[in-house]
Amino acid sequence: MLATVAQAVVNGLLIGGVYALVSIGVTLIFGVVKIVNFAQGEFVMIGMYITFFLFMQFGIDPLVSLLVSMPALFIVGVLLQHFLIRRVLGQNDMPQIFLTFALSLLLLNLSLLLFTANYRSVHTWYSDEALHFGEVYIPVAKLIAFVVAMTLSGALWAFLHTTDLGKAMRAAAQNREVAMLMGINPNRVFCVAVGVALALAGAAGSLLMPFYSAYPMVGQVFVLMAFVAVVLGTLGNVLGALVASLMMGMAESLGIQFVGADSGLIVVFVMLLLTLAFRPNGLAGGRARL
Amino acid sequence: MKVGSPARKGLWLGIAAIILIALPLLVKSSFTIDIFIRILLFSFIGVAWNLMGGYAKQLSLGHAAFFGLGAYTSTILQIKFGISPWIGMAAGGVVAMLASLPIGALCFRLRGPYFAIATIATAQVLMLIFLKLRDFAWGAEGTTIPNLGNAPLMMQFEAKAAYYYIVLGLAVLGLAITWKVERSWMGYYLVAIGEDEVAAEAVGVNAPRIKRDIYLISSFLTALAGTFYVQYIYFIDPNTAFNFNISLEAALVSIVGGIGTLWGPVIGTVLLESSAALLQSWLGSVRGGIQLTVYSLILMAVILWRPTGLIGIFTHWYERIVHRRDLARAA
Repeated sequence: MLATVAQAVVNGLLIGGVYALVSIGVTLIFGVVKIVNFAQGEFVMIGMYITFFLFMQFGIDPLVSLLVSMPALFIVGVLLQHFLIRRVLGQNDMPQIFLTFALSLLLLNLSLLLFTANYRSVHTWYSDEALHFGEVYIPVAKLIAFVVAMTLSGALWAFLHTTDLGKAMRAAAQNREVAMLMGINPNRVFCVAVGVALALAGAAGSLLMPFYSAYPMVGQVFVLMAFVAVVLGTLGNVLGALVASLMMGMAESLGIQFVGADSGLIVVFVMLLLTLAFRPNGLAGGRARL
Repeated sequence: MKVGSPARKGLWLGIAAIILIALPLLVKSSFTIDIFIRILLFSFIGVAWNLMGGYAKQLSLGHAAFFGLGAYTSTILQIKFGISPWIGMAAGGVVAMLASLPIGALCFRLRGPYFAIATIATAQVLMLIFLKLRDFAWGAEGTTIPNLGNAPLMMQFEAKAAYYYIVLGLAVLGLAITWKVERSWMGYYLVAIGEDEVAAEAVGVNAPRIKRDIYLISSFLTALAGTFYVQYIYFIDPNTAFNFNISLEAALVSIVGGIGTLWGPVIGTVLLESSAALLQSWLGSVRGGIQLTVYSLILMAVILWRPTGLIGIFTHWYERIVHRRDLARAA
């Protein structure tokens, strides 16, 4: 029993690390640009397909393809901000919500059209390896994903707190007008924020590939998880999103273990509704900060 | 700007009514009738959505919850208790209204995108619940609705035209309610909430009450569409009844046509559904994803270039035609 619980907690924590990359992206865009990116999950999906095709065509290991998927999605993010999101900033709710929503629909259905609904997976030498600690085993692929995800989150934290650009981003998140008066170019900061967020989604895609199948709808799972984690961790709060994602991963894993294999999603939705009902400002109590 | 006199507007509506009523007599192809039924059905769902999403700008993405409750209520009443779907339809509406109270209490605390996300979650939770209800509601397999042949009292007809008239009636009902609401104090309150909720409350609008009331109306109407749809396709399962695409299309047709306008959802549905039908006839078979790819491109174009919806183009043409004729008459 204890071993089962420990195993579920470990599994949840490891996948929670990947959820964290997606959630941090959502919360970063929300914090800086004040837009909820409904398409974040689709960028995870794109990261997965990039990784899949690099592996199939050139035999490139998913971990190496991080070096392709992250920069590629960074550029996509910059273009997305510059050509699309910028045009709806300052408008009312409808365009702000439905622009990224339409983008999510478009990317999902385009990939359905191009790649069909088939599941694609990649088998690496470490896909089936596991470390054993007594009765608990730790899959190597998930462990790598977790460690890289935490490293990237740490790097983002350092970027936001030590570099000028990172500080400018936090300033723009705290007060856009004052930041502009201090000479910060908002569009440039926004472009970098969306670029970084998408690069994190791309990284999540590459990290998932050794143990998770790619299919057009795959992003939906991650974006829903991210929305819950982002609300739970207080909108716009990077550290909150990270902690909440790890919690979500564990809650989902325990739900699957003790309620039933098909109950993963119901746990997520119920947690979302409970959070919105009782702690709509998040567990940290409404302090949004990057 | 005054567009035409009331008499002239009445004339246009009269002509439109005659065409719509005569349509099934002129068109014999059941494929075409099916397209008209789809257009009217989604116009109706869009109109129901638009009451809340358009006028009060509460952008719900979970109207499938009410569609599904309507569909399941009438089907359960019919199969388990032998009650006519005509009564079941009204009962489904009431069930949906009751469900809208807790859903609204939960979701209306949230603003903008988080309202939308919370409504998605409520519809999905209902779907997951109905997947689990094996004895009460046939679980994931769903059920076919027993075909009784031509049984008008059980809302079953051999002629497709009958379904056409039912859904035409529903669409007219939805438009009439919208027309009435638009001109009442409630309509003004809704628009005020949609513009700026805080300001509306500051001048004494009871926003929570108004939002609750319009949610009741909107969910009732959406549930009627649910009953109609399962009676039309003779089949129900959780994935049909609570399909996210229902929520999606309800919002989409309204936004594309013109959010918060009487005719917006109708114009949006005609455009989207006919583009889907055209694609289908061009490509022969539908490849997965093509329809929603086109929808999402249209949606993005509308958001970027015409966020008030395409209705603006039509009223502009209409004004120009009317204006030119007035000038010609004056000369």
